[in-house]
Amino acid sequence: MALSKEELKAAILKKAETAPKPQLYIKDFYACDPDTKPREIKNVANDLVKEGKMMFWSSGSTTMYAMKNRIKNEEGDSGVN
Amino acid sequence: MAKHETPLLDELEKGPWPSFVTDIKRQAEKNPDCWDILGQVELSYKEKITHWKHGGIVGVFGYGGGIVGRYSDLPKRFPGVEHFHTVRLNQPASKYYSTEHLRAICDKWEKYGSGMTNMHGSTGDLVLLGCRTEALEPLFYELTHEIQQDLGGSGSNLRTPANCLGQSRCEWACYDTEETCHHLTMHYQDEIHRPAFPYKFKFKFSGCPNDCVASIARSDVAVIGTWRDNIRIDQAAVKEYVAGNIPSNGGAHAGRDWGKFDIQKEVIALCPTGCMWMEGGELKIDDAECTRCMHCLNVMPRALRPGLDQGATICCGAKAPILDGAQFATLIVPFMKVSADNEFEELIEFIEKVWDWWMEVGKNRERVGETMQRVGLPTFIKVMDLEPIPQHIKEPRSNPYVFWQEEEVEGGWSRDVEEFRARHAA
Repeated sequence: MALSKEELKAAILKKAETAPKPQLYIKDFYACDPDTKPREIKNVANDLVKEGKMMFWSSGSTTMYAMKNRIKNEEGDSGVN
Repeated sequence: MAKHETPLLDELEKGPWPSFVTDIKRQAEKNPDCWDILGQVELSYKEKITHWKHGGIVGVFGYGGGIVGRYSDLPKRFPGVEHFHTVRLNQPASKYYSTEHLRAICDKWEKYGSGMTNMHGSTGDLVLLGCRTEALEPLFYELTHEIQQDLGGSGSNLRTPANCLGQSRCEWACYDTEETCHHLTMHYQDEIHRPAFPYKFKFKFSGCPNDCVASIARSDVAVIGTWRDNIRIDQAAVKEYVAGNIPSNGGAHAGRDWGKFDIQKEVIALCPTGCMWMEGGELKIDDAECTRCMHCLNVMPRALRPGLDQGATICCGAKAPILDGAQFATLIVPFMKVSADNEFEELIEFIEKVWDWWMEVGKNRERVGETMQRVGLPTFIKVMDLEPIPQHIKEPRSNPYVFWQEEEVEGGWSRDVEEFRARHAA
């Protein structure tokens, strides 16, 4: 049975806090609840950004999610967009 | 007065073409920060290494796209480009701007940014180059609240949809590309402004197979206008072309004397499927063999026009050459009616079916076309609930994408091949 929205939010935050890498792809959160559709997981992850609990990190071509306290404010990387 | 010596960049001003170096120097007279663009680029030319850093957490509140973070890795030496973020603006359908709107954008950009622009990026956005982090929110507020100008897409978002001029100016457009692009842009605001996918996703709308927005080369879903009845032929106009009374190609190549128009050499012999011929002074076309290359229509627009049963071909999976090389889109649906009457229901259903599958199966940083290539076209066709058809091939009879499943073959894979070959030579 799929997790409730609040349970899913908690699972996503836990994953973002404990994963070895600070920045995670949206697909990294799919395992938080295999019974929830990817599009719903994306919506919940984006809600967490709106609530200020997570942030987007974008290279320009790809966007990742991270906890605020786990990434530097000003950061860049090489790549394409 | 130049802040940096730029002998290598100066070479780029010497050719016959307009130079971005000259443009930046001109803008630097207004905004001295632009001297540091030249200084840093000169250094990169000298050292053969970039000094730009991409990416970061910059953006505007509520959005997860439209701003691309960019920084200098030599901020003390080039403080004018310490922050040099890109702002992507969603261009209007067909890029129809009023000069009033363009002036308003430029005024705001000179107030908050470097003043440097790129009209337009390859996705279609109006691109503003060079903004400091603290200027992003006030710029965004004024763009959206004062001149109703939204941002475009970036990152793992739906990228800003783009379309050709369509029926607003072009007689070949087989569906209303502007209405389609506008409708889908509004319909998918959430996907444009917030990340949704494993990687970028683009759709583009071309009204005819001339494909003026290069949708077949660039977009994950290309919607290309076509017709499924016969090319309309005005035989009287054909005769006028043959007699030289109407210039071919609408007079587009009239700058040189190419000699008398030769329909055999310039049209019939160039038809890729050889489906045209002259008979009794009339031009004949075997329409079943036409591949919509558009050459004959382009050469003789007053004599030949698209058929009247119009819609679009849907191709999937194009991408530009970043990791594995360029890839054109593959035909998936040969003909689909594209109409505002049902709010593009069929097209939207198709797009969302692709998304649902790709979000689940696609790897991180994998475009739809790469996922299709990895799993194979038969799987993709099955996922899309389509039946394989002869058009689902890369090239006729040389690279068949469609394979039989074991359950579809009598005797499965256990059949005795030698016994079979005794009766059916390979």
